[in-house]
Amino acid sequence: MEEVKKNTGQNLGIAALITAIITFVLAVVPCIGLIAIIPGIIAIIIASVGLSQAGRNNSPRGVLRAGLIIAIIASMISFSQIFVAGKFIGNPNKRLYGIHNFINDIQDNVTKEIEDANVSIKVESNGNKVEINTNANKKDQEQKLEDLEGGNTLKQDSIQKHDSIQKHATVRKKK
Amino acid sequence: MLLYERKNKTKQDMKAGLRNEPYLIINIIFAGVILLIFAYSGIFSSEKDNYPVTCIHEKITGEQCVSCGLSRSFSLIVRGRFEEAYQWNRYGMRIFLFFAAQLVLRAAFSRFYLKYPDTRKQLIIIDCIGSGIIFLVSFWPFIVSII
Repeated sequence: MEEVKKNTGQNLGIAALITAIITFVLAVVPCIGLIAIIPGIIAIIIASVGLSQAGRNNSPRGVLRAGLIIAIIASMISFSQIFVAGKFIGNPNKRLYGIHNFINDIQDNVTKEIEDANVSIKVESNGNKVEINTNANKKDQEQKLEDLEGGNTLKQDSIQKHDSIQKHATVRKKK
Repeated sequence: MLLYERKNKTKQDMKAGLRNEPYLIINIIFAGVILLIFAYSGIFSSEKDNYPVTCIHEKITGEQCVSCGLSRSFSLIVRGRFEEAYQWNRYGMRIFLFFAAQLVLRAAFSRFYLKYPDTRKQLIIIDCIGSGIIFLVSFWPFIVSII
């Protein structure tokens, strides 16, 4: 009977120690550090219950104390991981800036590819076929425009502007 | 019958003795946890990509953390593919070495603890300081990421 009294809380102590050591190993790894808070709290509760039982029966408390200390340290480390994650979530500008740059890169690439593209449009209606081939090359368009206007165009004009002027010029020519 | 009783008594004495030695219990549990980590690395492989635990940090923040790829790195180290392990996580090797060293140290210190009862206090102090230093050296990149 006395031996049973002496060992009160020892099983709880070992359970707390196992949980605390697992918590500690998990807590120091950033990937899974956040989960470690759950076994950490469990270990603290087990160790506290064991300590109160051992205190009532005057049984040894070494294992329980070790379990409690390791569990508290591990839980604190695990808790600190929340702040690390919070730092990233709290500063979304960094991530948005990255996305913004990524979109700009894609836009630039697409614009570059379109600049040198050859566009072909085919229209078929009642057996009649019309095919329009055009080159979107900026330099070619500029050259065409200069030929039509007699070299009075501004080089900074955009392709859209060139197109509208070109249409205007052809209408005038027809007239 | 007498032999069985004696064996049973020795077992009970050992159990009672172990319960009064928190240091030995810690050593046994820590060694068990390390063996579990090695078993986890051996069971799951990077080829099958069947790891049950994914990076929570990456899920929440959308950015990779310093320990991303550690499980794959451990699996590859267990299989002897060190260069690939380094590519998955450059700190994988030093953390694996920490656990391997701790496994050996737990066994060695437990043996010394039982063999030389007079020097137990010094042994525990040396163990705490030594393991603390090894831990800091191995996990420093992870600790820095928390700070």
